[in-house]
Amino acid sequence: MLLITAVIGGYAQDYKPSQSQFMIRGYGHAGFSSFSSDGETESSFQGGTFAPIFLFKHSDKIMFEAELEFEIEDDEVAIGFEYANFNYIMNDYVTLRGGKFLLPFGTFMERLHPSWINRLSSTPLGYGHDGIAPSTGIGFELRGAAQVGSGKINYSLYTTNGPTLNTGVEDQEEAGILLFENSEDNNTNKAIGGRLGILPFSNSSVEVGLSFYSGKVGDKDVASYENVKANLFAYDFSFVKQLNGVKGIVDVKAQYNQSNVDDATYIEDDGAGPEEYTFDNSSNSYYTQVSYRPTMSGSDFIKNLEFVWRYSELNTPEDAEWAEESTQTAFGVNYWMSWRSVFKFTYQTTDTIGGHEGGKSSTDGVFVHWAIGF
Amino acid sequence: MKMKLKNILFLIISGIFTVLVINSCASQKAAVLEKSSAQLWGENCVRCHSTPSPASFNDVDWETVTMHMQIRANLTAAEATKIKEFMQSAN
Repeated sequence: MLLITAVIGGYAQDYKPSQSQFMIRGYGHAGFSSFSSDGETESSFQGGTFAPIFLFKHSDKIMFEAELEFEIEDDEVAIGFEYANFNYIMNDYVTLRGGKFLLPFGTFMERLHPSWINRLSSTPLGYGHDGIAPSTGIGFELRGAAQVGSGKINYSLYTTNGPTLNTGVEDQEEAGILLFENSEDNNTNKAIGGRLGILPFSNSSVEVGLSFYSGKVGDKDVASYENVKANLFAYDFSFVKQLNGVKGIVDVKAQYNQSNVDDATYIEDDGAGPEEYTFDNSSNSYYTQVSYRPTMSGSDFIKNLEFVWRYSELNTPEDAEWAEESTQTAFGVNYWMSWRSVFKFTYQTTDTIGGHEGGKSSTDGVFVHWAIGF
Repeated sequence: MKMKLKNILFLIISGIFTVLVINSCASQKAAVLEKSSAQLWGENCVRCHSTPSPASFNDVDWETVTMHMQIRANLTAAEATKIKEFMQSAN
């Protein structure tokens, strides 16, 4: 007995975790969705999304992170390579990042989009497929944070391959759209971008951010597009605080995105021969979201409930083939089973003029999702 | 009309931004380091997601998780260190 105690005791005393550590974290969700438009309804159970995040802590200063995303699309498994980058903490105020990373263009895509963090089952208008806000880039970034006065600032400054202009050669209806997923640059000009975030109060309850992203987007080998530039900017706002007056946590988030692309000449051919045209290529989108969770309630059930409202809008150029004016209102009721596992019920209604369908349309959506972070 | 609204919005937000910058820089330095680590945990994690339970990960994993969050969520080095120590001590 003494021997066993001595061996175990000795092992416990000698045990020292290695400096390098490897973790798999991530998130996933599954559920049900239903869409109704013009009297037609489609509904499906959703097989789930699995997004593992790989973290390799090489030392106290170096870390590698990567995320994959698996989901079922058209009966096949679709794999997304979300990001993969190394991080080197140079000092308390500067971290160097390189590879493919989530762009701090506002906060939604970098911090809030994972399904266990996003308070609703859908993303606001203007993000994701056909969105005007970039989500990832390939390049290098310097970022950091510091205390200033009673508040804090955080910053990011990056350079990437940048967006590419879709000139409509393959699909003339998409002429003028910016494509953000570019593993190879189509010109020698590198895009630059950045975000400055300010948290003016010592309790970190308020954050206001200003972002920009700018660069040439045209192909260097096509004279008519080689000097076309895009300038994007975004404002974001966040307020999160437990308020005694309403006995719970109030969370307000908002972001405004603006995309301005230089005028360029595109070609359309509707059967009567090719014709040149141009348009003012400016788009914008924004969302405002308010959620409330009665965390100070005496009831365990009620304190785990959360109520969410979000309004978002997307406006793309009115003379483009992809002209669209959309508004969306969403409501949600969530039940938090733990700090990282949530059962979400979302109802949203979207009104669109233009877009892929053309004309005027109204779509109601119902989502029931269970999301978990791990 | 649309451009006018955009310009007004731009001016309002820029104005708020400027006031916040001035306020932030002019205020007395209430040291974050004087705050309890539990307070920093409560104030910062909730900016994006619910506050995590210390028991969710072991002490070694918290080293990795807080380093990841320091970079992703732009925590200051002092905040990240104190939050990590809190998670490890409360585990």
